Amino acid sequence: MTTAAIRADAQTVPSLAARALDLLAFEWTKLRSVRSNYVTLLIAAVATIGSTVVIAHGLASAPALPPGGPITALTASFLGYAEYAVLPVSVLAVLQFTSEYTTGLIRTTFAAAPRRWAVLTGKAAVSAAAALIFGEVLAFACFFLTQAILSGQHRGVSLTRPGVPGAVLAAGFVLCACTLTALGLGAIIRHTAGAIAATIAATYLVAALCLALPSPWKDDIGRFTMPFAASEVVALHPQAGLLSPAASMLVLIAWPAAALLAAGLVITRRDA
Amino acid sequence: MIELNRLTKRFGPVTAVDDLSVTVGPGRVTGFLGPNGAGKTTTMRIILGLDAPTSGTALVGGRRYQQIIRPLRQVGSLLDATAVHGGRTAYDHLLSVALSNGIRRSRVRQVLELTGLDSVAGKRVRGYSLGMKQRLGMAAALLGDPPVLMFDEPVNGLDPDGVRWIRQLLRQLAADGHTVLVSSHLMSEMALTADHLIVIGRGRLLADTPADSLTRSSARADVLVRSPRARELAALLTARGAAVTVEDDGGLAVTGLDAPAIADLAAEHGVAVHELMPRQPSLEQAYLDLTATSTDYRAATPAGKPEAGR
Repeated sequence: MTTAAIRADAQTVPSLAARALDLLAFEWTKLRSVRSNYVTLLIAAVATIGSTVVIAHGLASAPALPPGGPITALTASFLGYAEYAVLPVSVLAVLQFTSEYTTGLIRTTFAAAPRRWAVLTGKAAVSAAAALIFGEVLAFACFFLTQAILSGQHRGVSLTRPGVPGAVLAAGFVLCACTLTALGLGAIIRHTAGAIAATIAATYLVAALCLALPSPWKDDIGRFTMPFAASEVVALHPQAGLLSPAASMLVLIAWPAAALLAAGLVITRRDA
Repeated sequence: MIELNRLTKRFGPVTAVDDLSVTVGPGRVTGFLGPNGAGKTTTMRIILGLDAPTSGTALVGGRRYQQIIRPLRQVGSLLDATAVHGGRTAYDHLLSVALSNGIRRSRVRQVLELTGLDSVAGKRVRGYSLGMKQRLGMAAALLGDPPVLMFDEPVNGLDPDGVRWIRQLLRQLAADGHTVLVSSHLMSEMALTADHLIVIGRGRLLADTPADSLTRSSARADVLVRSPRARELAALLTARGAAVTVEDDGGLAVTGLDAPAIADLAAEHGVAVHELMPRQPSLEQAYLDLTATSTDYRAATPAGKPEAGR
């Protein structure tokens, strides 16, 4: 393209939609062009599938699961997923901002797109979409593998059973919620190590602390944490004392929403 | 065109940019000079909307940077060449930046060729030398073919070939009508490229002047005179109102009278003159004088107190 053509191009004011697409293309290109991102996702997938298979075999060889307990044939599908998918993907999400802050690339990003809420939205949209696709694929893979192994003992559940498809979809969404929480914390904290620590605290440690509390505080407070809420949205029968699956879904939306809101307020006020 | 109007930026007790008002015009290379820590980078960051000014405004083409739609088509900048993600290839880096402002993909190849990076475009930036990263930063700045370009210390860390390449590029951009603002702490570098100079020290404007008039206005311009009867001539010159300093080798450094007046005076009194040479200080010297004065003045001021008489 000639210089004149670029100039002529610049005269027409692009629509809001065109500029939104610009930012999505910007963030998507950055996300897809770093090889270590694929490596991390591959390792996450292998570790998740591997641990899920091990856990399923362990259950299959154990005596029958206690009825009414938190672990069912359905929720057992996601025990490996909850650790081995969520942790590496959260780290990747943290890096979306912290790698730009530590390299200084954030200044190129903000010079290219000075509206920082738009940058945050673009990054969040691209990361959320990637995490949702990855999460759903993994959640369904974990579900089918676990049920295939358990069906040997005739203890599996079928996807056709009411409530099961929703639970598996919700499990995929959990990864998306964790990703956005981590993304927001990365933007706020800027340093990789600190942001990872904060993310682990937000997604695991707060819940772990609640487990140490005496009843009924354990559930009264714990039900507002992401792990408690996640266990509710993937269960067919809600645990007594915890929130309903619908309310738990709101908890899973509130954490990333709060993190992103705080991130937006911080990055728009702070010098880059 | 870049317009700074009473721009001030404070970081806590430190005033990095202090009531700076200048206009950077098109068609010439404007050198932005000052010692390290003078506030050059902060000023450029404010222009790019990266830092918020404490007060005052910075406008590019009449608008605040944040108000510009697809700003890379209006302003290209290179602040820090090392600020790239090492895991990305040069092509992907440039492609992402191009897409962010709706710049066509074909332009990425163009700027890669322009900066001589086309053969290494598929390599990850991690393995690049500083010189290659500078070229990559230049390529990113040129992506949108913006009318305004801003570079922070672009020749730092470059080999002589790279330095010459940057100089030629800056001159060419200015000749094509671009507004080019280049910061440096090295006057010698700017002496070779800049048409116009903005000098700041401790955030304050010290000079905003065409490059050649900075030397002319310097107090150091004098006339060197050599004569076998130097002492006699010195007395005559002093009597005529000139200031005379005897240099180490016996030459007289004269200010207050120009060369023809000195020659006439010597002829009048039959004093032989062996050498008569008007001396311009180097741009470097003029710059050192300018910033030294500012620094000395500042150093004498008690910290944290407003200066009297300003």
